[in-house]
Amino acid sequence: MLAFRSEEHVDWWLAARRLRRGSAFTLEQAWSLANGWYSDRLDPAWRRKTPEEAEAVFAAAGLTGDFWRLRPSD
Amino acid sequence: MTDGDVRVHLMERFLAEGRPPSVAESAAALDASEEDVAAAYRRLQEQRVIVLAPGTLDVWMAAPLSAVPTPFPVETERGTYYGNCIWDALGIPAMLGCDATIAASCADCGDPLPIRVRNGELRDGDGVAHFAVPAARWWDNIGHT
Repeated sequence: MLAFRSEEHVDWWLAARRLRRGSAFTLEQAWSLANGWYSDRLDPAWRRKTPEEAEAVFAAAGLTGDFWRLRPSD
Repeated sequence: MTDGDVRVHLMERFLAEGRPPSVAESAAALDASEEDVAAAYRRLQEQRVIVLAPGTLDVWMAAPLSAVPTPFPVETERGTYYGNCIWDALGIPAMLGCDATIAASCADCGDPLPIRVRNGELRDGDGVAHFAVPAARWWDNIGHT
């Protein structure tokens, strides 16, 4: 995951590499994602999140849709 | 010694020294054989908890920490670390529960994009994050997401 000054810079970067747009979102959302994902990482009882738990962290940061889906769709 | 013991030791040592411990260092600290610790490192990689440098037992990533310098240096009161990406760079203060200054730069133009975390809040959060690869395919190539 990379950081850019603005959406415009994301578009320029993608165009220069002929890449398709993935998912762009605010750094506030990235901060929410980082907290949901990493705040318990030093807990000795930490374990990897299940796909359901991971999707819940994504959703809490406002990241939903096919790009963020880990479970097969119904 | 459980794999969890190895993981916690690895993270704490990484944070204390700014680099991950070798198998020999972990074995000495955990009073275990190098063979057992090596097996634990391999299992932690299989479980996608850590990433080893290809063909070695050297830890490359123990998310959110990177053992090699990246464009995402993170200054904290405990030390300066490198995140594997902007998510992981933000993950370091999230994990430590401390303030941080991330000397990020725009991936397009290279201009500085400093990000500060103070008292659990993001400052200077005007930038945009971009993920190139859908979540279900991150582990196809974790070095490129």
